[in-house]
Amino acid sequence: MPKITIDNREIECRKGISVLQAALEAGWNIPHYCAHPGLRVVASCRLCLMEMRMPDPKTQEPTWSPKLVPACQTPVRDGQVVRFDSDRVRQNVKRCMEFFLLDHPLDCPVCDQAGECHLQDYSYRFGEAESRMVDEKLEKPKKDIGPRTLLYSDRCVLCTRCIRFTQEISGTHELCLVNRGTRNEIDVFPGKPLDNPLQGNVVDICPVGSLIDKDFLFKRRVWELESASSICPGCARGCFIRVDHCDGTVYRLKPRYNPKVNDWWICDEGRFGWKYVHDDKRITAPVLHRGHEKTTPKWEELPEILRYRFEEQMRKNGPDKVVAMLSPFMACEEAWLLIKFIREVAPQAALAMGPVSEDGENQHFPVGASGDAVRFTILKEKCPNRRGIELLIGAAGGKTLSFEEFVEKSAAGDFSAGWVVGGYPAEWVDKAAGKIAPKFELLVVQDIFPNALTDAATIILPSCAWVEREGSFVNSTGLIQPFERAISPPEGVKRDGQYLYEIAGLDGLYRAGRVRELMNATIEEFAAVFEAPPMPAHAH
Amino acid sequence: MAWKVVDRNEAIVEAEGPALLSDAVREKIRSFFDRYETKRAALLPALHIVQDTLGHIPHQGMMEIAGLLEIHPSDVIDTVSFYTHFWTHPKGKKIITVCRSVSCEVMGGEAVLNEFKKQLGIGEHETTPDGKYSLVTEECLANCDHAPCVLINEKRHEGVKPENVAAILADPNNDRVTMERSTLFDAPGDSKARDSAQ
Repeated sequence: MPKITIDNREIECRKGISVLQAALEAGWNIPHYCAHPGLRVVASCRLCLMEMRMPDPKTQEPTWSPKLVPACQTPVRDGQVVRFDSDRVRQNVKRCMEFFLLDHPLDCPVCDQAGECHLQDYSYRFGEAESRMVDEKLEKPKKDIGPRTLLYSDRCVLCTRCIRFTQEISGTHELCLVNRGTRNEIDVFPGKPLDNPLQGNVVDICPVGSLIDKDFLFKRRVWELESASSICPGCARGCFIRVDHCDGTVYRLKPRYNPKVNDWWICDEGRFGWKYVHDDKRITAPVLHRGHEKTTPKWEELPEILRYRFEEQMRKNGPDKVVAMLSPFMACEEAWLLIKFIREVAPQAALAMGPVSEDGENQHFPVGASGDAVRFTILKEKCPNRRGIELLIGAAGGKTLSFEEFVEKSAAGDFSAGWVVGGYPAEWVDKAAGKIAPKFELLVVQDIFPNALTDAATIILPSCAWVEREGSFVNSTGLIQPFERAISPPEGVKRDGQYLYEIAGLDGLYRAGRVRELMNATIEEFAAVFEAPPMPAHAH
Repeated sequence: MAWKVVDRNEAIVEAEGPALLSDAVREKIRSFFDRYETKRAALLPALHIVQDTLGHIPHQGMMEIAGLLEIHPSDVIDTVSFYTHFWTHPKGKKIITVCRSVSCEVMGGEAVLNEFKKQLGIGEHETTPDGKYSLVTEECLANCDHAPCVLINEKRHEGVKPENVAAILADPNNDRVTMERSTLFDAPGDSKARDSAQ
């Protein structure tokens, strides 16, 4: 571990990183635009320039370098001495900020980035209150550069992060820098818009308000948003995300750093895949069919009703006529609670795995990369927790079924009582599965949207979207990753975890961590969940 | 302020129809591939070849070059727009270059430029409808001692005043270089080749 001295303080840092990265990790708030740990170094913004001690070429005496050097481009060396806390460095940042703001339209009141803009932050710290610019400002145009993204060239600081992203991560090369000098602009080739499965990331890495997401445009001021740490349920990869929400509504998803899965990126499919959460077709109350009568039971009565109904079936049709189908959209904790309940009332109950949705092929980025060159992957398996549910079903032992076997046996009338969990964002009940409902005397369906099975169910339980729940998903590589709840479920709906907790005979509030402690007693994998190391506070 | 957005989803199509670049041009570009490690490196020669053949490099041409070099068209427009030498739209027979550097500016270069704009009826980097003149500005023509300076193709017009502009435009030989061309500026190999040709 090299030791370097920054502003007279000696720190130990990781090997092979830049001085900028070392300083950010040690807590320094060094201004920077073009440097991003996931992208190539270009050292073009000149904000992170520092003073460094070097041996004088004539006398070999260590002296401060005559010129400032970019911290992002200087690798750390043992015994290096640098300083940011000096007049020359401060003057440099001040002058740089003046140039960045020469042609800036100062339209913060209508800018989406305001509040999380590094042009604002650095101007506040280093800028002047007044511009000395006497000439007319160059007006660069707004550009519609793709189906999901707008480019405000006039707010751009030309850090070229977005260009490097399309070159190095997505490998699609849509963005380029046209013209020269003061007329430099980010652009796409006319007719070749920015339209690739990862394009939303250019909005995230833009340090200013130049690249704007059309989906979030003028929706909310960012300081009104609250964030919850979550996991993307879009595919089995399990990218770390942040759910930005306000007043019970989700506004956007942003990536969270996770070096083992997604680095700093997420795909558009995940980024915009949350819209079903606010669909008005959702099931918003439990329903109980008594003969031809349809009632809405109180949530408090449900545990008792369910236990009674299943025990009644056991007495009537024997102990091996009960089945539960678990969904790969359930959190591990919820699945464990449901298994606990079912195996308590019917120890011989069969456990089935729900359908694992797949779409197309695995996509690797940069486009055309393979092996170690792959920087990002979108999996074809479009559900977040297949491995987790398989692990729990395996740990529970007893009779287990695949989805096909479950449909086949149910259609043959092998089961009289069943609990089916859906929770899929899209229609999942196929023709064969739709026909099994009449074979059951008692069918409990827990789902988000109405479908052929909920239509025929004895008891319908509303399910929640993942942003309304908490728990953990096991991703395709076997990492157990926890997610927080962001918003409240629609009125009348109780969280899956909470009612399953009560149904499983436990008292109090459902907390994923507490359930994991209980699970850990029998399934040792759940002793610890994977949490990514935090990003340095001042890195962006 | 009007909410104006430049739409980049629409392609710019200069001419419908078959490929712009002929097989001979394509072959000429391909002949440069062997010289470099990557095809991408042949971009500048390719742009020169296309501009020499077509007079300018239209968007369609850029896409065809990108196809030949197996790169994205955005990488081509990036380079084309960087160099003022390359034209993305047809240029006139004679190119009037007005210096906008400090010395010329101080000596009234802007008035000369405005006079050219007025008399030709075109703006900067535009071409007259008859295709005769294109008007551009350049940072420095290296002729500060005779500011303001104007270049028409290869001929220098020194100490130009707005009232001279009409006379310059009226002269049919306003781009003809009267001076003997020096061989000094040509590479030795080239001059030898020319001597032997003579």
